[in-house]
Amino acid sequence: MSDLPHNAHVLDLLPAYATGSLDADELQRVDEHLLNCWICREESRAFQAVADELSFVLPAAEPSPELRDRLMQRVGSTRSKVPERASRPVSAPSFWQRLLPVWGVASLLLIVGLAASTFVLWQRVDNLKVATAPGGMRAVPLSATDAAPRATGFVLVSTDGEDGALIVDGLPPLGESEQYQLWLIRDGKRTSGAVFSTDEKHYGGTRIRAPRSLLEYSAVGITVEPAGGSPQPTGQQVLAGLLPNP
Amino acid sequence: MKSSADYAKIDDESLIRLILQSQEQALAQLYDRYHRLIFSLALAIVNDRATAEEITLDVFMRVWQKAGTYRREQAKVSTWLTHIARHHAIDVLRRRAARVDQFAVHWEEARHNSESSAPNPQESVEISLRRERIHAALAQLPAEQKEALYLAYFGGYSQSQIAEVLKQPLGTVKTRLRLAMQKLREFLNEEQELQDKSVMPHSAYNIKEE
Repeated sequence: MSDLPHNAHVLDLLPAYATGSLDADELQRVDEHLLNCWICREESRAFQAVADELSFVLPAAEPSPELRDRLMQRVGSTRSKVPERASRPVSAPSFWQRLLPVWGVASLLLIVGLAASTFVLWQRVDNLKVATAPGGMRAVPLSATDAAPRATGFVLVSTDGEDGALIVDGLPPLGESEQYQLWLIRDGKRTSGAVFSTDEKHYGGTRIRAPRSLLEYSAVGITVEPAGGSPQPTGQQVLAGLLPNP
Repeated sequence: MKSSADYAKIDDESLIRLILQSQEQALAQLYDRYHRLIFSLALAIVNDRATAEEITLDVFMRVWQKAGTYRREQAKVSTWLTHIARHHAIDVLRRRAARVDQFAVHWEEARHNSESSAPNPQESVEISLRRERIHAALAQLPAEQKEALYLAYFGGYSQSQIAEVLKQPLGTVKTRLRLAMQKLREFLNEEQELQDKSVMPHSAYNIKEE
């Protein structure tokens, strides 16, 4: 998409995007555009670097001297836990463990077909392309935002768009008062597709339930919302992706 | 066994690698270098010392638990830390009620403090230089552009919320923010070019002499 006409880019929105001040509709537009446009991604990085410098403008304030001890005590209490690695290879068994609870027995056959090409699928997902799995299932990769840089995930959509599932990894579990919510976007309008939580291993998954065929939606986003979900997105976006057009 | 003095000689990126190996002293050293920066940023955003301290703790705990997510090609360690801190602090701020009134008063104080900041002898040279640079850049902006920028960056406001706070048309706020960021970018780029030129001749002569 690098050969878009100038007015199809989102260059004018990128300064505000870097400061985190875009309103929801423009934010969604930029997020979707950046997934496929390296020109705007480069511009966005340049403005983000400028915004990052603003953090240095404030005069240095000193916290209480005890804070350092509190930090080290807290670290000591988690000492048995090894810090997370930079990248965790996705192995077939853990992939299965994540998929099975999501789909249940009724969809097992679909998963068998899908799992047969798990390796190829993940390779394609890593390349940020929509991958077609056996049986015509399509896996749509999701991109992480700054709010959850370790998050990965994809949406599985059946050929007819009537079935869908979401798998996420690297999303930390939220407190009791919050849950993640999947939004389906069509003509700029957002419809809730699922409200879900992640486990202590930061994995999660859910079936997507939509009033229309999933093929009629152009994009998805995942935000942090109050437990039970919100009528419209209110919290930070953690993952986003474009759905395949019919 | 390394002493504190040994850790003090280690650069930021190497400290991150040591934290990945669960070396607590590496985290302590990173804290010693950057806790003021992180606490100051959190304090400017939430305007409450106790909350700012909790955020500071959370930031360094996140480094301890997720050091592997750091990408040196994307940002310096200090920038990575401020990124985490700002997002976390704004998240905390957004959960509070009656935020508009609170911040409308608070940002004036934050702006005043930032414009009258004096060098802190305990800060690293890098932080002091970056502060000087961004101060000089911000000094080029008209007050109304700085105001919009502060509300966006330290207040976590959307453009339409800024328009509401400042009682200005949304289009005006968008223009102010865009111009402010473009001017800052130009200024910082020019500064960088000047800095590069001041370094380049030396190495260039060395090459010619060979």
